[in-house]
Amino acid sequence: MSRHQRPRRAAPLSRRLAAPPLRFFLPLTVLVTLLALLVLRGMANNEVFHDERVAVSVDKGTVPPGVLRGGPIVDARGARNDMPVSYTIPDKTVVLSFDDGPSSKWTPKILKVLADKHVHADFFVTGSMVTRNPSTIRKIVAGGHEIGLHTFTHPDLALQTGTRLSWELGETQLALAGVAGIHTSLFRPPYSSTADALDDWSWPVTKEVGSDGYLVAFINKDTDDWKRPGVNAIVKAAMPELPGQGEMVLMHDAGGNRSQTLAALPLIIDKLKAEGYSFKTIGEALGTGSADTRVTGYDLWAGKAFLWCTTFSVRLMPWLVALLALVGIAVFLRFALMLLLSVVHVRRTRKRGFSWGSPVTEPVSVIVPAYNEQECITNTLLSLARSDHPIEVIVVDDGSTDDTAAIVEGLDLPMVRLIRQPNSGKPAALNTGVAAASYDLIVMMDGDTVFEPSTVRELVQPFADPRIGAVAGNAKVGNRDTLIGAWQHIEYVMGFNLDRRMYDVLRCMPTIPGAVGGFRRTALEQVGGMSDDTLAEDTDVTMALHRGGWRIVYAEKARAWTEAPGNLRQLWSQRYRWSYGTMQAMWKHRHAVLERGAAGHFGRVGLPFVAVFMVLTPLLAPAIDVAMVYGVVFVDPYRTLGAWFGVMAAQAVLAWWSFHLDGEKAWHLITLPLQQVVYRVLMYMVLLQSWITALTGGRLRWQKLRRTGEVGLDVTMGEMPS
Amino acid sequence: MTTAESGRAGLEADGDTTMALRAVNSFAAQSGGASRHDERVPGHLYGRVSVPVQPSGPVDEPGPVDLPGPTSTSASEPVPAPAFQAPPRKPGRDRYLDLLRALALVRVVIYHNFSWTWLPLIFPSMGVMFALAGSLMARSLSRPALSVLRSRLRRLLPPMWMFGVVVLPLMMLDGWGPNSSGHPVWWWIHLAFWVLPVSTPPFASHLAGFGGHVPDTWAQQIVVPLWYLRAYLWFMLLSPLMLKAVRRLPWVTLLLPLALSAFLNSGLVDQSGRVMETITDFTTFAACWLLGMAHHEGLFRRIPQYVVPSVAPLVLAFGYWWLQQAPVDQPRIGPDLEAVPLAQAIWSFGSVLLLLHLSPSWEKWPPRLERFNGVVTLLNSRAVSLYLWHCLALVLTEPLIAPLWNNDFFYTHLHWLLTSQWFPLLVAIPLIVLALVLFGWVEDVAAKRRPRLFPYPRRPRGQRRK
Repeated sequence: MSRHQRPRRAAPLSRRLAAPPLRFFLPLTVLVTLLALLVLRGMANNEVFHDERVAVSVDKGTVPPGVLRGGPIVDARGARNDMPVSYTIPDKTVVLSFDDGPSSKWTPKILKVLADKHVHADFFVTGSMVTRNPSTIRKIVAGGHEIGLHTFTHPDLALQTGTRLSWELGETQLALAGVAGIHTSLFRPPYSSTADALDDWSWPVTKEVGSDGYLVAFINKDTDDWKRPGVNAIVKAAMPELPGQGEMVLMHDAGGNRSQTLAALPLIIDKLKAEGYSFKTIGEALGTGSADTRVTGYDLWAGKAFLWCTTFSVRLMPWLVALLALVGIAVFLRFALMLLLSVVHVRRTRKRGFSWGSPVTEPVSVIVPAYNEQECITNTLLSLARSDHPIEVIVVDDGSTDDTAAIVEGLDLPMVRLIRQPNSGKPAALNTGVAAASYDLIVMMDGDTVFEPSTVRELVQPFADPRIGAVAGNAKVGNRDTLIGAWQHIEYVMGFNLDRRMYDVLRCMPTIPGAVGGFRRTALEQVGGMSDDTLAEDTDVTMALHRGGWRIVYAEKARAWTEAPGNLRQLWSQRYRWSYGTMQAMWKHRHAVLERGAAGHFGRVGLPFVAVFMVLTPLLAPAIDVAMVYGVVFVDPYRTLGAWFGVMAAQAVLAWWSFHLDGEKAWHLITLPLQQVVYRVLMYMVLLQSWITALTGGRLRWQKLRRTGEVGLDVTMGEMPS
Repeated sequence: MTTAESGRAGLEADGDTTMALRAVNSFAAQSGGASRHDERVPGHLYGRVSVPVQPSGPVDEPGPVDLPGPTSTSASEPVPAPAFQAPPRKPGRDRYLDLLRALALVRVVIYHNFSWTWLPLIFPSMGVMFALAGSLMARSLSRPALSVLRSRLRRLLPPMWMFGVVVLPLMMLDGWGPNSSGHPVWWWIHLAFWVLPVSTPPFASHLAGFGGHVPDTWAQQIVVPLWYLRAYLWFMLLSPLMLKAVRRLPWVTLLLPLALSAFLNSGLVDQSGRVMETITDFTTFAACWLLGMAHHEGLFRRIPQYVVPSVAPLVLAFGYWWLQQAPVDQPRIGPDLEAVPLAQAIWSFGSVLLLLHLSPSWEKWPPRLERFNGVVTLLNSRAVSLYLWHCLALVLTEPLIAPLWNNDFFYTHLHWLLTSQWFPLLVAIPLIVLALVLFGWVEDVAAKRRPRLFPYPRRPRGQRRK
């Protein structure tokens, strides 16, 4: 995990997050679009803001008595808002009204009955049903019927805010405009009944809707058809209380099996016609003309755009969800595999009498490439001086512009040699060091890393096995008290104690950390030393060693303490370098997939593993957080948070296990939830950036990219297209 | 020369410079109070390290609501400073804390105008104010507790008396009197709370409204801020004890008020009555006050830095959940943090944790914020006055705006303005400024400073706008 890094200490602190806004623009746009698509789909499926609570009626002291005793239609529009007026349905007139639709199954059948009987009716539709069944709405309109609003998601508005009310009505109008090119000025509140059932909680809704310009339509007769009481009961309930009295009848064309409604409808019509009733819409009954008006221009096109987006999201989402499910399953399988293989690794290395062979006591060359490391190099060298294994230290000063070289000379340690070279990049510095090394075992470290006395000895013990070409050590974060340090601490402990143990057992370690790694000189020479083909020379050389047939293992007791990036900007640059470098190295070694032997094993096990979990998964990982935001804000916060924390708990178990394996206290895990969210978003943004670089200009210069420390990095980042 | 420095220059003219500095610096003393004349040590190097100050005389206390105000400016009170002599380097106020205090005040005014229930969630003003006050109190208590309390009382009460002198006669003019409540003796006894607000000072809940020109609940509306002074008084009186507890058992002490608040609001305790009202407010905000004290005592520097930002979001999430599940009076408005004491306590605790953890100790303004220096300085030096009088200003907007409805031009062309909620706020701002001019000087008198009409800092002569 930890590789060579040269934090820019000169970077002004106030510009911590001074990345150009465009770098955030694309990733955030993608996430926001994803959230918007989720919401649109959720609205169409009536999942968003779904709320089945019904306000229990209280007093009715604020409802004007005239309204309580009056007819089913309440007019509180405009100037009448303070003194609302009720209208009754004229005698010998009946208005049939159907709520909660349209449904693709029952509404067309009801429309057919109405057409056969030459009767017009009112349909109070919900927005979510409108977006799902646009053609049915068009049929209703074409049949000369009248459409009214019944909110978008069918909540009890007495329990909702004014903002929500406006949203419910506005969105439904939008859907109606998109589907049929109309707006309506009729409204019926969900869970409403007769006008005399209004109370102190539902009355403000009626007044507010009135002030928005809607005519509110209550009912006279409720057929209770949704309870499916039998055809006769429905017919009976639809009959007027007094012969000849005008009435508004409530039925439903959606929300379950409506066969009884369908059967009762012709009977009701025939019976009432026989009594001399005529059937009208509300507009016809009041003599005001239709409540539905055609819309044009902006309203129409906004509606159409809304409908298109909703349809698109409804079609797209299943695919996206399937993809996410696949990734989710893969991630959990990886969790299980890491848990299992780390146990295997621990049992193997901690078995009594385990050894790599006879103890390795031969001296070792430690190579320290140093570029402007004046703050850290003293500690690094002093820690090496306490090594309990015979070593020589070769400091390669890669053209530092600060006092690094002078400090090394000033220390005057007996086993340290200093080589100066003009600045030519870390791989070149390492190659210089290897060429100057006296011994056959070589340890590479960073200039800002501190070894324990036993680190070198522990790191080289696996070389007792002649098949082993390189060993990865255990890098640990020193500056772990800050928030960002604690995050990286968790990441490192998990990465080294779970990932690397797993890769060790699977024999496909993708990276030997630049901070602490041991190499056999013959192996390095076989693959041609370090290469500057990629931004991640450590991953590159590790893959090359695999292809050369060498085994690479993990030595968990070889601990190296490193200084992690101290702010998000540095972390960003480091991760960008790593992920882009990893992609470059994978591309460079892509032919391993088809090779035979050990190379083929790495190509067919290691490369796909890295590709899935380091290059593809992070691109989709923030979806879990977007889904959480969607669930918490729009659907059901408790279930959503439960699921989210469930995933978090699985990660916490793994994290705790890795801390336990490393003998670390688990206090830092209190920041795990925050760490997971921030890292998911960070890695997603970094990878998107890397992909863009790889797919655009980056690819042309695939082989030409030269790293000259931070300068090289800045050159590539400066050319980011996004 | 920054405005903070000019403020100090003015104070120095009052005499007792060292102590005036203490008053001005409050928090900032941590960032170099002792280094005032020490040219070798730049103030900012001290960072957040506390530097003890040796008092050398009667100490001028920080403001009553812990709003230490640089109340004078060098522009109106020139300090003889020979041009050839460089001004001595002095530590600045912590402008971050000034900014928090100003934000809290602005937020309170906006909330009282709009009643947006989401606003207290964005910025829990009361918790922030109490935390800042607790921190300053902890600083003052390095001196004998009794003298601290005496000088604090001296600065807290006069502005409130001034408010009472105006409001009490107004209420009586509008029909309030000994017989209003049916218990004339108690009425007279309760009046004592207008002198020492150990309980909420009495007021009339319904009045005639001056012939209907103002709502009949006007008195109820304008005495809203008084609970803060009452709560502040109790925190202040108990501060010596609380500070000892913070020093001995910091974490237990911090969490105890939250536990008490949970118990009081569990439904097991009858919360009606004057005493319970006081206790409920105390437990709601005590955790914030104690956090301020703990901040001053350096508790935040003793724990690893990752702890607070990791824990605070969980605290906030819990507080938010508690708020959402609490029963609401008006379902169509939604839950209001101010109406659910335990949610208020937890949410404020979490927010204050984060804000104090950030505490960047700005000795100078960050360049982008420098332009707000004037307003922030004014708000800080007139905080009590602003807080006490803003509700009266908001109530007065009603009789001022009502006649405009009869104006044909306004009715036909500016109807949107008349119905807008922003209009009362626009009208209230000049009224508030007027109140500050009329009554703000009491704050200076209480602090034994030279009274000033309008302490808006002006740029020292010769300095151009940046």
